[in-house]
Amino acid sequence: MNIDFSPELEAFRAEVATFFATAPTPAIREAGRKTTSVFAPFQECMEWHKTLFEKGWAAPHWPKEYGGTGWSVEQRFIFAEEYRKADLPPLLPQSLGMVGPLLIDLGTEEQKQRYLPTILNGDDFWAQGYSEPGSGSDLASLSCRAEPDGDDYIINGSKIWTTYAHHANRMFMLVRTSTEGKKQQGITFLLLDRVDYPGMEIRPIVGLDGFPEQCEVFFDNVRVPQSGRVGEENDGWSVAKHLLKHERGGGSAASPTLVRYLERAREAAAIIASPFGGVLADDPVFQRDIGELEADVASLAHFEKLAISGHSIARDPSFPSMNKTINSELVQRASVIMNQVSGVGGLARQLEALRVGSNVEPLGSEFDLISMPLYLNSRATTIYAGSNEVQRDLIARTMAGA
Amino acid sequence: MHALWQGLELMDFSFSQEQEMLRDSVARYLDKNYDFDARQALVSSAAPWSAEVWNQFAELGLLALPFSEDQGGLGGSIGDCVAFAQSFGKHLVVEPYVSSIMLAGAAIAASDNTANLDWIEKLASGEAVAGFAYEEGAGTAHPGLIKMVAEPSGDGFVLSGEKRLVLAGADADILVVAARMGAAGPVALFLVGKDADGLNVSAYTTIDGRSAANIRFDAVAVGADAMLLADASEALEQIIAKAIIVQGAEAVGAMDALLSLTAEYAMTRKQFGTPIGTFQSIAHRLADMKIAYSKALATLTYTAALANSGAITARDISVFKGQLGKMGLAIGESAIQIHGGLGLTDELNIGHYHKRLLAFDAQFGDHSYHLRKLGQR
Repeated sequence: MNIDFSPELEAFRAEVATFFATAPTPAIREAGRKTTSVFAPFQECMEWHKTLFEKGWAAPHWPKEYGGTGWSVEQRFIFAEEYRKADLPPLLPQSLGMVGPLLIDLGTEEQKQRYLPTILNGDDFWAQGYSEPGSGSDLASLSCRAEPDGDDYIINGSKIWTTYAHHANRMFMLVRTSTEGKKQQGITFLLLDRVDYPGMEIRPIVGLDGFPEQCEVFFDNVRVPQSGRVGEENDGWSVAKHLLKHERGGGSAASPTLVRYLERAREAAAIIASPFGGVLADDPVFQRDIGELEADVASLAHFEKLAISGHSIARDPSFPSMNKTINSELVQRASVIMNQVSGVGGLARQLEALRVGSNVEPLGSEFDLISMPLYLNSRATTIYAGSNEVQRDLIARTMAGA
Repeated sequence: MHALWQGLELMDFSFSQEQEMLRDSVARYLDKNYDFDARQALVSSAAPWSAEVWNQFAELGLLALPFSEDQGGLGGSIGDCVAFAQSFGKHLVVEPYVSSIMLAGAAIAASDNTANLDWIEKLASGEAVAGFAYEEGAGTAHPGLIKMVAEPSGDGFVLSGEKRLVLAGADADILVVAARMGAAGPVALFLVGKDADGLNVSAYTTIDGRSAANIRFDAVAVGADAMLLADASEALEQIIAKAIIVQGAEAVGAMDALLSLTAEYAMTRKQFGTPIGTFQSIAHRLADMKIAYSKALATLTYTAALANSGAITARDISVFKGQLGKMGLAIGESAIQIHGGLGLTDELNIGHYHKRLLAFDAQFGDHSYHLRKLGQR
């Protein structure tokens, strides 16, 4: 048992902080400050992705031979901490966090060579086509159909909650290739090398925060090559389960984001008047509430550090579900306290001021500008990537001696 | 009836026949003319609210209802308002009823200065709308927090400071403004015309679809007649208490809608081959929603009866605002969770109910403020 606090690490921290202080453009910084979701404003986010790629820092969690950094656990955490301190836009998880690691683990050599370089350098953005109108928590019931036809599949059906599909140029998806046997057995995992195939239509869905983050994707006799299949036909469920480990955590740490949210809440509370006199930061109820949250975030950080270090906690079959549950509920609780700090300041709908580059001044503080959209958006965290009800079922199942 | 209760006079928590008639006629009108699609079309239009709906509220007598008969009103009670306000919540009404009638109108009616009483007739007929410029941005939970200053100047006063979340503030004909007489004096109320020099209005729409404004007062000069009350703290507390009760009735209407819509969804939406409402985690969530709604309804009804009886205290209002704020958010968050992704779309009404409940909680002291205040004694 040892935690590295060597001077080299502090030199590394300084190097990272210097880069973050100098490399991002003003638009990238603005996008970072105005990020009110897991998914940062697209254009600036991808621009920042490319900057990080040029520095060699786009994918610290990837194996070194594929373009990872080869950093220690401490270095990865320092990187994440400095990243959040600088309020920079987080890179989008679908490409670097999901399909990239999946292809490294399970892709063919051809798929790796074709797709990994442009995932890493930020030329491509991949959408994740999983949920369907009738298949959310019960994902395995999905019915979007792919019929083999020569070297192709013909796809018919639709996907929903496909985040940023309207920005994507590629897509990975689950399709039904058989209705025989158990529902999990007839699913195939497909890579679509483009999203503008004839018969494909992408329609954005406006969310409660007023932004079109999610999409519906419709397939009407869409012909795609079978060479995009990952794994065997009808074995896509095991591919998807493998990928879910990346989606639900283990790859990158969420706690630095939460630390930063709470810091921002503290900064705002230090200025906002308390109805009990003084400022809100002096209010014992606020202190107790934020103290409890900070303690919970600290425990998550410990949990994440152990996991990234390969501790047995991360080999527990329920680890992804536990990680997702802890993380998503903390994001919601942090957003609740942020929104409480803003109070009536969060009630104005300010879509233009939130748009990067709009040059529209917010009505109140920048904190008040983001707290409500962040709160509304974060209601999704306990729903997406498998609802927390389903996660708890999965955790309980691993305890039943299964 | 149980023998134990025989011979005791029971408290009456039912609406009178007249109140039921009023409630039903408002509900009928809104059911017919204010469905969610019509409401969304109104919110996305350039109009701050529907003039037609406002006229109909005047026709139904809602605008004149709370004012006393000798001021040209109908002399209605808080119970009368609670009877129909739940429909406002069910339909997510964006018209400025509480701000123009229950707050600004009630403040003019409470004035000891008769020079401004003709505004009541205009408000009650729907001819004019008033804004209530009270909130200063940090959640103005009680009048003691007002910082805006009124300095005597010549025959009148000069107002300086900033007000936020003035509902209908950009479109109102007149503003009722709370300001402190000098830095440490009592809070007074003033009437300021919409065209007064020195008003700097930033208009916006709230997350729950209402027209609002932040208004900066740069040395706005008003005459002596503009003063409604020289020491308004007590009157303000009473006026705000009534407004909180009516807004709470709206909130309970929204909670009622969320409960029934969510129960219906959970019983029709199937996953794993069965309605999701049959899963224990969802079933228990629904049960908790129902328990919260029932407590909220009980507290609304009891508190309205207390207010009707003139026996209400600040503590009762804190119980009311704390509980309804907290339970509204819990119900809204559960409704979204059970609806899954759909609950997060702008297209479905569920999230819009939740936004109304968020707005209810944030105004006039959030649940955390009121619950702590109860604990202080």
